[in-house]
Amino acid sequence: MNPAEEIKQLFPGSVVSTGIQTNKPLAIIKKEDLLIIAEKVKEMGFDNLSLITGIDYRDRFEIIYNFFSYAKKQNLVLKVILDHNNPEIDSLESHWKVADWLERETYDLVGIKFRGHPNLKRILLPDGWIGHPLRKDYDMTVDQFVTIGEDGEDIVSTDGSNLLRR
Amino acid sequence: MKTEELLINMGPVHPSTHGVLRFKLIMDGEIIKKCDIVMGYLHRGTEKLGEMKTYLQFVPYTDRLDYISAFPNNYAYVKAVEELAGIEVPLRAEYIRVLTLELNRVVNHLVMLGSLLLDLGASTMIMYGFRERENALQLFEMLCGARMTFNYIRPGGVREDLPEGFMPKLNEFIKDMEYRIDDYEQLISGNEIFMMRMKNIGVLSAKEAISYGMTGPSLRGHGVNYDIRKVEPYSVYPDLDFRACVRNECDSFARYMVRIDEMRESLHILRQVVDSMPEGKPTSQAKYGIAPMTGAPTAVSTYFPRIFTPPPGEVYSRIEAPKGELGFYVVSDGTIKPYRIKIRSPSFCNLTAIPKMVEGLMIPDLIAAFGTIDVVLGDVDR
Repeated sequence: MNPAEEIKQLFPGSVVSTGIQTNKPLAIIKKEDLLIIAEKVKEMGFDNLSLITGIDYRDRFEIIYNFFSYAKKQNLVLKVILDHNNPEIDSLESHWKVADWLERETYDLVGIKFRGHPNLKRILLPDGWIGHPLRKDYDMTVDQFVTIGEDGEDIVSTDGSNLLRR
Repeated sequence: MKTEELLINMGPVHPSTHGVLRFKLIMDGEIIKKCDIVMGYLHRGTEKLGEMKTYLQFVPYTDRLDYISAFPNNYAYVKAVEELAGIEVPLRAEYIRVLTLELNRVVNHLVMLGSLLLDLGASTMIMYGFRERENALQLFEMLCGARMTFNYIRPGGVREDLPEGFMPKLNEFIKDMEYRIDDYEQLISGNEIFMMRMKNIGVLSAKEAISYGMTGPSLRGHGVNYDIRKVEPYSVYPDLDFRACVRNECDSFARYMVRIDEMRESLHILRQVVDSMPEGKPTSQAKYGIAPMTGAPTAVSTYFPRIFTPPPGEVYSRIEAPKGELGFYVVSDGTIKPYRIKIRSPSFCNLTAIPKMVEGLMIPDLIAAFGTIDVVLGDVDR
């Protein structure tokens, strides 16, 4: 049976809708029940979490989880819709270790907070970077300059007038 | 006896980190107690750039992700766009694509072997590897004029047909490579020093490797028979005869052996592609969703339209790149530019496993384990 339908049968209250995303079964779920469903998904044999990403739709955020099962050779896509003002969701780090970095990347670039993540800080951009670049309202006209402080930490500022220019 | 812990920075500029990557190692004597990875030194914001380009304009940016093997990057992105837009590709184009993909896989593994051995202190292999790689790069140059950043695979097909005199040179390369691989095996695989450096180093159980998101040849060294070319066949792979190379030892040596086996399989595929290359056009001639033209139409072009608008929707499409599962998540809002592009890069996810893998080992072992994971920093940082 289609794994998305299976989840809907098990958790009728937490699945908003099911469908197909280009050959892959898709289930849109409520954000409160992500952890319970994730546990079930892992039990169903989806041992590979291949992708986490967040998309900014200006009025809402969508988080996409792509799972794959090595035993059953099946795909499953979970989607969670988040509020635009304070996007926050539970972390899946305890179930899939790869979620650690994928969630940090999503936090870094899209600005979605993951509750219960052991080390939620920026991964690609330096600490102290202003804004999250993959948001649609990110201001690209402001230059940001990164210098190295006394203890080797990154210092970000928008004022580059005292930097050496070639 | 209680000893003081020492924090050592390895990198960002270190010859064996293959680019700019920093390991923050907490050492107890010579033993690594904790390994933190700091990255982002090569972050160029490729995903954000993609939102500002048309679908075709983004293809050259994908070359710069994993610059050792750029054809798979081109193809993974183009495949996602084609699935999104429903573009049919002529059979000849698919064969040319598979030819470039497999040739690039050989090149990638040659670089990986060379740099791995160089990091371990043996400089012969990198000379051998780069000698053969040069022949392959000349083939790429014939094909598209570039040696590393190709911009060759495009939505609807490939940029140009195979040039004259390409096939004989390719046949020569395949014949040459065959006994070269035997040479490498004689040189490396049985070498006692090499085996002592690689066997039982960087061990991770299959279950852990899956949890850490490892894919590709690195995962197949852990006994997991998973090859996207087999599991979710794309392009013309279903018509070709090959096997997924798997080793069960779960250590660095197994991950190295998978690469050697894969090169042989790639040559096997290449030979079949050469034999069954069909005739036809290398680009789709369909008039797909062309944006309304302004001004008088010029001469009839044989190219696929440069500007097209896929219907709104989202797609996640992945391929078996030489380093692992390379996926592109592309969202279209029905305009000429993608709304969002997310790159799931194999190097980034494979690197997750390193801290766990090297716990309790020494720094030279970290280099050995890291070399067999085969990471390119352009792919990690994007």
